[in-house]
Amino acid sequence: MKKLKYILYTFAFLLLTVSVYAQQQRFPKPEFDSGYTQPSTITPEPRALQLEYFDVLILAIFLAVASYLIIKKRSRRGILWLSVLALLYFGFYRNGCICSIGAIQNVTLSFFDATYAVSITALLFFVLPLIVTLFYGRTFCAGVCPLGAIQDLVIIKPLSLPKWLNKTLGLIPYVYLSLAVLFAATGTDFIICRYDPFIGIFRMDAKALMIILGVAMLLMGMFIGRPYCRFLCPYGVLLSWMSRFSKRHLTITPSECIQCKLCSKSCPFDAIDYPTNEKEVVKSGLGPKRFITYALIIPLWIAAGVFVGVKSHTFLSKANPDVYLAELLISQPEVKNDPDNIDVQTFLASGKSMETLVEEAEVIQDKFYTGSMIAGGFLGLVIGMTLLNTVVFRKRQDYEPHKGNCYSCGRCMDYCPVEK
Amino acid sequence: MKNKGIVIFLVILALVIVAVFVGEYMSDKPNKSKANPYEYNIDEFKDVDDDLVLYKETKNFKIGFDEPDAVAAGEGKILVSGDGSLKIIDFSGVLQNEFSLPGKSHSLKIEGGSVYVTLEKQVLVFSENGDELLKMDLPGENTYLTSVAVFGNDIFVADAGNRRIIRFSKAGEKIAEFEGKAGDDILHGFIIPSPYFDIDINGEGELWVVNPGMHALENYTFDGDLRAFWENTSMKIDGFSGCCNPAHFTFLPDGNFVTSEKGLVRIKVHKPSGELLGVVAPPVKFDTEDQAPDIAADSLGNIYALDFERKIIRVFELK
Repeated sequence: MKKLKYILYTFAFLLLTVSVYAQQQRFPKPEFDSGYTQPSTITPEPRALQLEYFDVLILAIFLAVASYLIIKKRSRRGILWLSVLALLYFGFYRNGCICSIGAIQNVTLSFFDATYAVSITALLFFVLPLIVTLFYGRTFCAGVCPLGAIQDLVIIKPLSLPKWLNKTLGLIPYVYLSLAVLFAATGTDFIICRYDPFIGIFRMDAKALMIILGVAMLLMGMFIGRPYCRFLCPYGVLLSWMSRFSKRHLTITPSECIQCKLCSKSCPFDAIDYPTNEKEVVKSGLGPKRFITYALIIPLWIAAGVFVGVKSHTFLSKANPDVYLAELLISQPEVKNDPDNIDVQTFLASGKSMETLVEEAEVIQDKFYTGSMIAGGFLGLVIGMTLLNTVVFRKRQDYEPHKGNCYSCGRCMDYCPVEK
Repeated sequence: MKNKGIVIFLVILALVIVAVFVGEYMSDKPNKSKANPYEYNIDEFKDVDDDLVLYKETKNFKIGFDEPDAVAAGEGKILVSGDGSLKIIDFSGVLQNEFSLPGKSHSLKIEGGSVYVTLEKQVLVFSENGDELLKMDLPGENTYLTSVAVFGNDIFVADAGNRRIIRFSKAGEKIAEFEGKAGDDILHGFIIPSPYFDIDINGEGELWVVNPGMHALENYTFDGDLRAFWENTSMKIDGFSGCCNPAHFTFLPDGNFVTSEKGLVRIKVHKPSGELLGVVAPPVKFDTEDQAPDIAADSLGNIYALDFERKIIRVFELK
């Protein structure tokens, strides 16, 4: 009954979000018979610098509190309420921007475009969670990230995914990260922001498709814990790397594990590693053989990735508006006469010559060639390493959180009967 | 299979998510851009309830100008200018006189047997025979005269370029000028984004000025003090829309206003209080969205609209 109530509440919330995309821009504005006066249009001022610094301060405080609640206080309830506050502040109040996930693109672009200077705020939003993760694990995901918080709140009946599916889907964030870096480096698009499924909900305004995406993610999140964090978030890749080296990560038990197994089903993210059965591994005798084989084929994976990257660079480069426009104008010159094609008409009105456009498009395509090659090689390496990891034997005697995949949400701590 | 229903649900959601990503990626390309949501589309406002249309078009006069400029009516005559000359015709359309003007005229007025013409930086007064009686120069880089009104011994000229009304005596002496700034915050001077700035004086001797940026008609004393005003910003039939409307106005013998708008081209009649009385010509009557027809009214209440597109004077009479 309680669950049914929860499901109904969640559906009601999701239905409310539908109204977000029902809004439409109209010009001229509609006039109302009720006497309502349309407010005059204003151009919002950029956020004051002091307020941006205040956001950084809030981020730092939230990170510190999240780490304290998880590592020192071991409070699931505390981290839950902190994540609600983060959702309200960084999500609904700050409209999901600036966020650490999107800051990847700002930082990338600043490396590849000499005319673009990353703001100190964006840089700190990118760096601070990584540094904290290096010390305390992914406490950022647990209590600070609004995208994580909104998903965490809708988890109702989390299913455990098969290991192979978890591993396979877990490769998507690497692809997403590669593409995000590639597109940002070439000045093409900030795809992390463009495909952010929850920003439309935070802002109560988005294209219908993006609202559908957000609602679909939340519905999925009722049964698959944090689907965006696990199978899409590109920043999660970096956090995962940092977390693996974290000095003081969350532990399920505060002292010695009594092997009660109460925590084994507590994690909705399949991020608890079970104790290993050493005898079975040794008996099978497959470990070393497979390890050598998988290690040897890593260069092949990289080569295959480079090959795919090179082959796909033309397709990927079409995401760049200049490249697409140049190709369009070459293949269909008649679109120049289409008065309704805003992009083409804007280009024609800009006074830029076709030669200049083509030259610029070629430069961008060259960048895509190199970038796709590197991205492909990186993904090949990731696949190779993921496969290799499947045959690496790590001795474990207790139930432990997987340092890379654990979001430090603290659910498992709640289940542990051991006291300090 | 355990949780079969949930698994099917999740698979469907996964497909939706993939479809959204693909759909979003494939859309929004230069040859797939959607219709411009910010396009200035006023089609829905072009339909006007037939019951509101109080006038019917009874005749029109071909005026023989390639570039007509302005129209005026009064004292049993219609004045129309264009192509550097001015024609005086009677109400049946018969040409009575024609004479040359020294430049492109912006507005006309006939009063006491004299014809008042504003050019860009000049006000000229002619006899009906075309003899020049008076010339007033208003030099200045920004001077752009758009309208003239005459009452008693006073001539008022609207200068859109300098956002001011200048008062002259009939001897051509400048008496004063004002910029429509009231003492309080009700109105804040004339806002004139485009060269449409009309003035007129009704039968009671009240000077009315269009404040086009405010969609307002303002009544001033001859000394330039704001006495009354009405305004109505709306795309609907009872208001004025766009950057600057009404572009032209005149008075009917009963004191009602006749207004002419550009953008959403339409001619309407408003009571002295500003309330809409009815429509003379709805937007569907016009071929253009650019220029508001210049308008004039005779002592019988007939309305003359100078249609710049068709290059004719269109006559509207009460139904």
